[in-house]
Amino acid sequence: MRRIVWLLALLPVLLALVLAAGCGGDDDDEGDGGGADTTATDGGGEASGDPIRIGASLPLTGDFAEPGEAARRGYEVWMEMVNDSGGLLGRPVEMVIKDDQSDQNLVVTDYNALIDQDQVDLLLGTFSSLLNIPASAVAERAQMVYVEPAGGSPDMFNRGFEYLFFAQQATAPHQADLFSEWVGGLPEGEKPATAAYIAADDPFGAPVAEGIQEQLEAAGVETVYSEIYPPETVNFDAIASDIAAQKPDVIAQGSAGLQDGVNLITALSAAGYSPKQMFQASTPSFADQYSDAIGVENTEGIFYAVSYHVDAPTPGNPEFLEAYRAKFNEDPPEDAADGYAAAQVLQAAVEAVGSIDDQAALKDWLHENSVETILGELSWDETGAPEQAFLLAQWQNGDEEIVLPEEAATSDTIVNPKPPWSGG
Amino acid sequence: MTQLIQTIVLGLLLGGVYALLASGLTLIFGVMDVINVAQGALIILAAFMTWAMWSETGLDPLLGVLVVTPAMFLIGFGIYMATVRWIQGKPPSTSVILTFGLALVIEGVMGMVWTATLHRSTPSYFDESFRIGDIYLRKGQVYGCAIAVGVLAILYVILRVTWLGRAIRAVSANMSSARLVGVNPSTVAALTFAVGVATAGAGGSIASVLYPFLPASHYQWISRLLGIIVLGGMGSLPGAIVGALLLGVAETMTQIYISPQWATMVPWAVILIVLLVRPQGLMGQKLREDVAL
Repeated sequence: MRRIVWLLALLPVLLALVLAAGCGGDDDDEGDGGGADTTATDGGGEASGDPIRIGASLPLTGDFAEPGEAARRGYEVWMEMVNDSGGLLGRPVEMVIKDDQSDQNLVVTDYNALIDQDQVDLLLGTFSSLLNIPASAVAERAQMVYVEPAGGSPDMFNRGFEYLFFAQQATAPHQADLFSEWVGGLPEGEKPATAAYIAADDPFGAPVAEGIQEQLEAAGVETVYSEIYPPETVNFDAIASDIAAQKPDVIAQGSAGLQDGVNLITALSAAGYSPKQMFQASTPSFADQYSDAIGVENTEGIFYAVSYHVDAPTPGNPEFLEAYRAKFNEDPPEDAADGYAAAQVLQAAVEAVGSIDDQAALKDWLHENSVETILGELSWDETGAPEQAFLLAQWQNGDEEIVLPEEAATSDTIVNPKPPWSGG
Repeated sequence: MTQLIQTIVLGLLLGGVYALLASGLTLIFGVMDVINVAQGALIILAAFMTWAMWSETGLDPLLGVLVVTPAMFLIGFGIYMATVRWIQGKPPSTSVILTFGLALVIEGVMGMVWTATLHRSTPSYFDESFRIGDIYLRKGQVYGCAIAVGVLAILYVILRVTWLGRAIRAVSANMSSARLVGVNPSTVAALTFAVGVATAGAGGSIASVLYPFLPASHYQWISRLLGIIVLGGMGSLPGAIVGALLLGVAETMTQIYISPQWATMVPWAVILIVLLVRPQGLMGQKLREDVAL
């Protein structure tokens, strides 16, 4: 009997803990339930009538929680800005955002539910190629336009989809084009002779490294190491010691996220081997989280490709920055800007077509036109793959700088060769 | 040749850290028949606490061990009193479900307090190495191994010399007889659970230097730790140490001489092979089912 009383007494405590766990990681102003989170706005402007409901599922928890949350913020800032300036087609916009927990199965369930149960009017994509590959198939089957903010794997665009659009500048194999061109074009004496490629078994990371390898081999740089690792790899000490033994001039990592990139750098530093040029996919774009985790002095000279920079002179960027800073009290990370840009693409199509009733008309318009976004002008081929080029960025003096192309550069120097690691 | 020696050294250092992290898991199972799936989450919790102290006060994570370990002891005691004691004596599978739930709750609480962003303690030595000729030893791992030796020595002393240790061994050998000679099994279980969780404090402190972590990082640890204690023999402390060292070397050898692609599969392959060939593990006692026959 006493046991039962105790259990009953404990129940509310446990319940409170579980509820608390449900909204973990959410420290901004928007109230959150557990699963679906409908954020209506308080209007402003002159938007009236029934709201246009836009559905998306994002990895708000699990492995991609960090970028997923950033994308959500990008979507929300866009929604508020649209609602403050009179809405979309004069109607207010309401986002219905679900949490797919970084799970490929759940993301499919979520998009099916958005289409069948929530009956949203429009869709926006999720984060990462891993999740967008299954999610975009749901949208394609329902014949709904699917603009996704992050997912440049070639596997996205080889399925003959018509409703899929990727709202960044280029696909994964072309992410590092400017880096490969720059390395290949270095004068004799400075040009690297050998390179090591290490890539995550990830639909985005692996093609980035493969793209660089292909282009550098064509430029006459010998490959001395090329391996794939599982994205969940934590311990890179043996890999780093193996790479160090080959003494490559260039190390290019097709990292899947933040942790694998950080762990390789620390392992290379402990091994005491610093290459002349170091490129990592996506990892270095995690700003302070990256520099805090590897030590800011270790960031010097590391290259990466980005879609967005806060100082970019693109149309609409100052307004986006102002709204984002006002709402979240920090600079937008790249993933938030990509989310915003994806929503801009959808908005442009809806406004040009003048209706949300005909999804086929929306996709036809996007295939035939280009859209001005905060990432610059975007246009798509028949597979939905974008046709522009990423910016080449480099960490310099603890800051992220754009170094190429010259017209977008925020720094007029390129750090070369990379200085040694602090621990080496 | 240098490469081979370096690979083995890297593997042994990694194994030393694994041994530290696995010791509490195997202790709790050996005495209580509880498979504590929340051990990974508790390690990450300790890592967060270490990080918070390091970033607020600059307290070196190695000294942080002295603060975090007692704190984790208390947390372990609290968790036992609030949850685990209700399932004492139930089949171990019940404990898997309960502690998995605990792991999720701890993950959620950590996400609320520290957000789901990457953290790491970076004292000056975090990416430095000791060098002996051509061989390098990562300082963080060397310190981690030293702490592992210390913690395991203390556990050994507790188990062999103190009254608590004798009581723990008595309960683990025969619970009803232990009760006859005046040992209260539930007190012993509470203290064992707390000691097991306290080892996560020491392990988490050094893990916060070695690898960056987020609230969800506990999944990647618990799989390895379960592999280690299955290999060593569930409930056997020396077995956990041998299992950890073997797994560390197997992982680094696989990364270099086969392919990094196969390395994360090693713990799972180990579990599978051990269960098929030698279900009691390297140094485990006979299975209860065998004894009954």
